Amino acid sequence: MRLLAFIIVTLTGAFLLYGTTEFPDWGDPNSPASLHVSNYYIEKTYEDTHAPNFVTAVVTDYRGFDTMFETAVIFTAGIGCFLLLRDFRGKKEHYYQHIPSGVILHVKDEKKLLPIGKEFGYMDKEWVPPDLINKTVCRILIPFIQIYALYVVAHGDYSPGGGFQGGVIFGSSLILLAISYDLKTLVERVKEKLLGIFAALGVLIYAGTGALCLLMGGNFLDYGKLAPLIPGHSGHIRALGMLVVEIGVGIAVMAVMTLIYINIVSEGRHDEGL
Amino acid sequence: MENYPVLIVVAPFISGLLAGLFVWIEKRLSYPIVLTGLFISAFSAIQVLIQVIGSGPIQYKLGGWSPPIGIEYRVDLLNAMVLCLVSGVAFLNLIASYRSAEKEIGDRTGSYYAVYNLFMTGLLGVTITGDLFNLYVLIEITSLTSYAQVAMGDRDRGPLASLNYVFIGVIGASFYLLGVGYLYMYTGSLNMADVAVLIKGSQGSSTVLVAFILCILGIWIKMALFPFHVWLPNAYTYSPVIFSRVVAPLMTKVMVYVMIRLMITVFGYDYIFNTLHLSDAVVWLATIAVLAGGVMALAQKNLKKMLCYIIVSEIGYMVGGAWMGNQLGMTGSILHILNDVLMTFALFLAVGNMVYRIEKVDITDLKGLFGKMPWTMGGFVLAAFSIIGVPPTCGFFSKWYLILGALEKGAYHFAAALIISSLICAVLFFKVFEICFFESGSPGHEHSSHGSVVIEEAPVSMLIISGLVSLSLIVAGCYSGTIVNTIILPFLK
Repeated sequence: MRLLAFIIVTLTGAFLLYGTTEFPDWGDPNSPASLHVSNYYIEKTYEDTHAPNFVTAVVTDYRGFDTMFETAVIFTAGIGCFLLLRDFRGKKEHYYQHIPSGVILHVKDEKKLLPIGKEFGYMDKEWVPPDLINKTVCRILIPFIQIYALYVVAHGDYSPGGGFQGGVIFGSSLILLAISYDLKTLVERVKEKLLGIFAALGVLIYAGTGALCLLMGGNFLDYGKLAPLIPGHSGHIRALGMLVVEIGVGIAVMAVMTLIYINIVSEGRHDEGL
Repeated sequence: MENYPVLIVVAPFISGLLAGLFVWIEKRLSYPIVLTGLFISAFSAIQVLIQVIGSGPIQYKLGGWSPPIGIEYRVDLLNAMVLCLVSGVAFLNLIASYRSAEKEIGDRTGSYYAVYNLFMTGLLGVTITGDLFNLYVLIEITSLTSYAQVAMGDRDRGPLASLNYVFIGVIGASFYLLGVGYLYMYTGSLNMADVAVLIKGSQGSSTVLVAFILCILGIWIKMALFPFHVWLPNAYTYSPVIFSRVVAPLMTKVMVYVMIRLMITVFGYDYIFNTLHLSDAVVWLATIAVLAGGVMALAQKNLKKMLCYIIVSEIGYMVGGAWMGNQLGMTGSILHILNDVLMTFALFLAVGNMVYRIEKVDITDLKGLFGKMPWTMGGFVLAAFSIIGVPPTCGFFSKWYLILGALEKGAYHFAAALIISSLICAVLFFKVFEICFFESGSPGHEHSSHGSVVIEEAPVSMLIISGLVSLSLIVAGCYSGTIVNTIILPFLK
C-alpha cells in the first residue's frame, strides 16, 4: 500500500513537472502572465482608482468580488466552528475562588451555585496563577498591537497590508489576552454575542457596499457610483470604497479568529481553556 | 432589470449573512430572512432564463470592469437552466424541510440557515460565473459549508463521514486550482472566454495538457465519478435531512455542469476529441461507473445509502454522454442534468418524509409503509419509475438520448450498461416496494417491547412540496421535446 502511494505521488509529481517544461523563464518580462493584463493594472490603477498600492486595488476593486467571497469563507469557518463545537450544557462541578483569602472551593453539587461578586469568583480546574511578568508585559503590549492593527487596516490602500492582515493582528491581540491572563478574562471583556455579530457584520459591510452601488444605479461593487454620497471626493471615491470594504474584512477576520480560538481551546464550553 | 444576474447570487448571500447576524438578536427572524433571499434568487433566475431565451446570452460586469481586467458573469441557455434548478430546489427544500430541521438541528437552526444559504450562494456562483478563479472561490465556499453540514448529521458517524469528505474534497479543489494556475502561466488570463481564445492555437502544449487534466480530474473528484466516489455515500447518508435533500440533487449535477462548461467553453471540442482522443477511454470509465454504482447499490441495506449509490451510477450516465463527442450524447447529458435534479430531489423528499416519521430507514424498517404514508410513497414510486426510466416520466427521455448517442458513436458497451443499470434500478426499487406493500409492519409484533409506534403521514407542508416535485417529473417528461428544442439544441449550436 505504501509502495502504491509512493508510485502515485511520484507519477503525479513527474506529471506536474512535465507541465512546467513549457513555462516561461523565471522573471521573464515577456511571459504571458506579465504581458496580458498586468500592464493594465500597473499603468492604469492610479488613474482609475487613486489607490497608490495596486495590489490592494486588484484585490479589492478589480477582483473585489472574489475577495468578498474569501471573506465569506472565513465567516463560514467561524460559524461552522460555532455550530459543531459550541456546547451549551452546564458543567457538573464548579470551582470557586474565595477572593479575599485566595482559597479555592470545589463544589461537586451541580445545583449549588455560589453568588459571583466581591467575595467569590469563578475558577478553572487546572488553574495556575498567571505569571506576573507575562501579565504585565502583555498588558502593556496589547494596546500597541491593537493600534498597529488599526494602522494596517487603515493603510491598506497605501502600503502593504489591509483587512485580512489587520484583522489577524487585532484578533491575535485578543488571543494574547486569553493566553497571558486566562480565557475567562477574555470572555468577560469580549462577549460571544459581540463576536458573533461582528463576524456577520464585517462581511455584511462588504456585501452591503456592493449592494449600495446597485441601489445607486451601478453594477455590483462599482464604487465609482458612490460619488454622490460623499461630495467633493469624486476622484478618490474608489479608494474610499476600498477602505470601507477593508474595514469590513478586518472586523470579520478579527471576530472569527477570536471565536475559533475560544471554541477550540475550551472545547466549546467557553469556561476554561489551556 | 439588468441586475438580475448578480441578484441570483447576492440575494441568498446577503440574506444568509443577515440570518447569521439576527441569530444573536432575534432568533425567529432567521428563517423568514433566508426564505426571502432564496425567493428573490429563484425569481431572478427565472427572469434571467426568460431574458436569455428571448435575446441571447447576458454578460454582467462586476464592479463595472470589463473582462479580462475584472470578473464577469456570463449567462447562456445552459447555465440559465441550471440556475433556475438550483435556486428553485433550494427554495422549495427550505419550505419542505422546516419541520425536520427543527427536529434534527434544534436550537441551532438559526446559524444553520446562514450556512445553508452560503452553500446555495456557492452553488449558484459556480454556475453563473465566467471566471475560472471566481469559480474556485465559490467551490471553496460550497465545500466548506457542506463539510460543516455533513458533520451536523448523525451524531456518531456524521463527523467521520465529514472528515473523509474534507480530505478528498480538498484534494479535488487543489487539483482544480493547480490547473487554473497552469492555465494562468500559459495565458495570463483567468476569464474563461479569454483563455479559450488564447489557447486556441496551442494544441501540443504540455502546459495546457497538464492544466486540462488537472482541472477535469479535480472536478471529477468533486462530482464523485466512480473511482473517486468513496466519500459520497457516507457523507450524504449521515447528513441531516434538510441538507441531504439539496446536496444529493444539486452538488454533483452542478459539478457535471462545470465539467461541460470547461469542455465546451474553455478547452473546446476540437482539443478534447480531435487532438487528445480521450473520448473512448472516458466513455469506458463512465460505463464502469454506471455498472459499479448499480452493483454497489444492490448490496445496501439502508435506503438512503442505496440512493446515494444510484447517484454514483447516474453520474456515470452524464459523464459518458458528455464525452461521447457527438451532439446526441451531449444533449442527453444536459437533459439528464435537469431530469436527475428533479428525480433525486423527489426521491430524497420522500425519504426525508419517511425519516421524519420513522427515523431509521433500513429497508426492513419500511414494512407496511404504503398503508401508513400513502402520499409519500406515491411520490416515491413516481420518482423511482423515473430513475428506472419508465415513460412518460422524464428519466426515460434523457436515457433515450444517451442511448442514441452511444449507438451513433458505436459505443455499444455504454448503451448496454445503461440498460443493465435500468434493470438493476428496477430490481432495487421493486424490492423496496414489495417490502413496503406486502409485508405489514404489524404493531405489537416488533415494537411490543417499547410500546406500539403509530406511524402517520408526514406534515402537509412536506407532502405538498414532495407531491409537486414528483408531478413535475411527468410534466418535464411530456415537455422534453420543448426543452431540448428551446434550450439545449440552440445552446449546442
